[in-house]
Amino acid sequence: MDNGGSIRNDAEDGRRRVKFAVELNHISKSFGSVRALEEVDLHVEQGSIHAVVGENGAGKTTLMKVLYGAINADSGQVVLDGNPVTFKSSGEAIDCGVGMVSQHYGIIPDLTCLQNLILGAEGGALLNLSQAEQRAESLAQKMGFQFEWRRDAAELSPAGAQKLEILKLLWRNSQVMILDEPTAMLSPADGEALFQSLRLLVAEGKTVILVTHRLPEVFGHCSRVTVLRGGKKVAERAVTETNPAELAELIVGKKLEAPSVHTPVLGDLVLEVQNLDVRGYRGDLATKSINLKIQSGELVGIAGVDGSGQRELFRALQGTASVVSGEIIFGNIEATKLRGGSRIQWGLRSIPEDRHSEAVIEDWSLEENASLGLQQLSPFAKNNLIQEKERMSEAEKMALMFQTKHGGLDQPMSSLSGGNQQRFVAARALWNAPKLILAFQPARGLDLAATREVYEGLRKACDNGAGALIVSYDLDELLEHCDRIVVMNRGELIEPGQGQERDRNVIGCLMVGAA
Amino acid sequence: MKRTFAITGLCVGGFVILWLAIASTGVSPVAAVQDLLRGSLGSPKAISDTLREATPLLIAGVAVFLALKTGLFNIGVEGQFTVGACAAAAVALRFPGALGMFMGMIFGIVAGALWALPAGWIKAYRGGHEVITTIMLNNVAAFLTTALVAGPLKDPSQESTTTASITDATKLSHLYNAGPWTINSGLLIGVLLALALSWWLKKTVSGYELRAVGANPTAAATAGIDSKKVMMRAMIASGAIGGLAGSIQVLAFQHRFYAGISSGYGFDALGVALLAGPAAIGLLPGALLFGVLAKGSTQLQILGIPKGITGIVLGVLIIAAAAIRYRRNKVVES
Repeated sequence: MDNGGSIRNDAEDGRRRVKFAVELNHISKSFGSVRALEEVDLHVEQGSIHAVVGENGAGKTTLMKVLYGAINADSGQVVLDGNPVTFKSSGEAIDCGVGMVSQHYGIIPDLTCLQNLILGAEGGALLNLSQAEQRAESLAQKMGFQFEWRRDAAELSPAGAQKLEILKLLWRNSQVMILDEPTAMLSPADGEALFQSLRLLVAEGKTVILVTHRLPEVFGHCSRVTVLRGGKKVAERAVTETNPAELAELIVGKKLEAPSVHTPVLGDLVLEVQNLDVRGYRGDLATKSINLKIQSGELVGIAGVDGSGQRELFRALQGTASVVSGEIIFGNIEATKLRGGSRIQWGLRSIPEDRHSEAVIEDWSLEENASLGLQQLSPFAKNNLIQEKERMSEAEKMALMFQTKHGGLDQPMSSLSGGNQQRFVAARALWNAPKLILAFQPARGLDLAATREVYEGLRKACDNGAGALIVSYDLDELLEHCDRIVVMNRGELIEPGQGQERDRNVIGCLMVGAA
Repeated sequence: MKRTFAITGLCVGGFVILWLAIASTGVSPVAAVQDLLRGSLGSPKAISDTLREATPLLIAGVAVFLALKTGLFNIGVEGQFTVGACAAAAVALRFPGALGMFMGMIFGIVAGALWALPAGWIKAYRGGHEVITTIMLNNVAAFLTTALVAGPLKDPSQESTTTASITDATKLSHLYNAGPWTINSGLLIGVLLALALSWWLKKTVSGYELRAVGANPTAAATAGIDSKKVMMRAMIASGAIGGLAGSIQVLAFQHRFYAGISSGYGFDALGVALLAGPAAIGLLPGALLFGVLAKGSTQLQILGIPKGITGIVLGVLIIAAAAIRYRRNKVVES
């Protein structure tokens, strides 16, 4: 902040003297007939954190991939430290000191932390692990990180994996670090710690480009911000010269209305969980004697750090994890031992956590994916026969609901971007009067406008008699959209006291077990 | 663009390898290909033989294909074929006539299904890989049936380890038999089976669920599908069809069971299924191609070209097909 601040105080004349670590000039890129980037400029001062914001499909990731050498631009110029460069591959970019951490971490769980760190940059045909460990340790110490280098990376928490990714960039001597939504999986405390480390780095003269959806991060930690919309740069601002409302408007292109305050009309119980114990991946108890009640009409958020047992709770509710003890009751049906298919029949819908592995079949068409999970239900099926005409029209409705951009319903799911897949999956979960909706990070990969639409969809379903249980690692998202929030920490579910269901401080403390 | 280029290169490369392989035997490659085609498709008799050869390949191919769609690699069709053939012969010999034929087929199917059951169960509920278990079961099948045909099932009047031949009334009848043309009903069963499977996978909910398990078991489980049960059932069904292929081999063509009755049909069926493409209809040309090569290779042997050359042809074809099939769809960024 101080770093950026001094530059800003110099006003316009001062900016001329500033050294740019990265200059992207007039970058254009098309995929087929889609113009992903049109004459985009991005100038990043050395030793600063520069935010790049925009909706899904605004071109943020594409622009970063151009800088990283993973995509070749159709036209335009990349200048690093005043020297024009052309990267044919990301390997060349890495050699020039440009590194990127993408949304999905590239950590291989079966390798040790050290092996992950040096993977691809071992520095010779023979491994010298003890030397590598020394260097790794000194890098980590400088950043204030702690790693057990010989342990498997599978044991890392998301925050640990994120830190390891950053060390990987340092290991490769990156001067320019691109972070794509680095805090998407982190608790507020871990996110804060991440930005502390980033500040250490920029103080040393490194440059950070932060791609994010979260405006508080922009205002809390960045010095400048570039806004992309529809593949064009629409604005660049010093952070002190703008405000969240203006930025949100620039991102969306229109004024966002404040969400209306909602008083839910509560109905019958749709879900009751009693003393539920579920075994986790490693065989230990992942949830410990959980009790939870949800009534129709309410959106209940589960706040908590990743790995607190949310995943196992959801799987138990879906019927894909085995329950050790306790009871699950849907409405007035005892459901603890009910098959997954029967739960869906009853009215359970879900937006799964991992879109690629749980929610869609990427090789299949959108049309075939539309009935995934609903395949037994009318009108998708009749006497074990697939009703193709009905499936087609339902798929059309699902694609329309949140404006999924697609090139035809017969095209494979894999041809959609992540955000568009998420829109489709969210629409499917709201299909045909659900009774209970489980949504795991429903806004993952969605921009502000789409996030709001999906939550509005959830709200509407709840007004029509459903109950919703929502997991997110973004506490602010839950605070904005849910009626009440419960907290999971180390497998236990804690309900904040009366009147504190939406108290940010209380919930923040409960999340890390500090209450 | 780059990909298309690479695949063209692959096809050309494969062709060159073939050319060189044939030329290395001292025979003109053009003459060899001509002879291969003449031997397999050159006369009504040759075509009949090719179709006869294609029949077990087609039915076994259906078996492999069904498992493949569930994400299972059933290497065990060879063993299921063998136990199916053995069971069919044993039953058909005991009950001569149409009843024996019918019961032979049923027992062949049941034997094949039972032979696949342990592999399916271990895969679904114990996580043991089906490739390993089915390969082991293949060996057990070969030894067990050899022991049976050397002992209780052996025809005492014969020197070699074989059963007696079934009576004419027990044989699976010809569909068409006039002059040099002979086409057995077994082929019709195979064609109907491939068509039925194609329809079932595409149009029924259970077919949809099976394909979901094959394409992404986790997503299938999330969609309320009992992946384990589906895998188990698919493996058993695959084994049943493998057993049917074996029983038809006995009832239609060999009329007896002997050790080594399957000259690798179960393994060639893997190639048939891999070449078939996404829909089961593709099994028809696939099986025909394998039939042509199998029949034609006998002709090549007369020319002095080792039979193994057709193995090279198939290898090249399968690699090229796989390279074309598994091209990734390009992601359109919006």
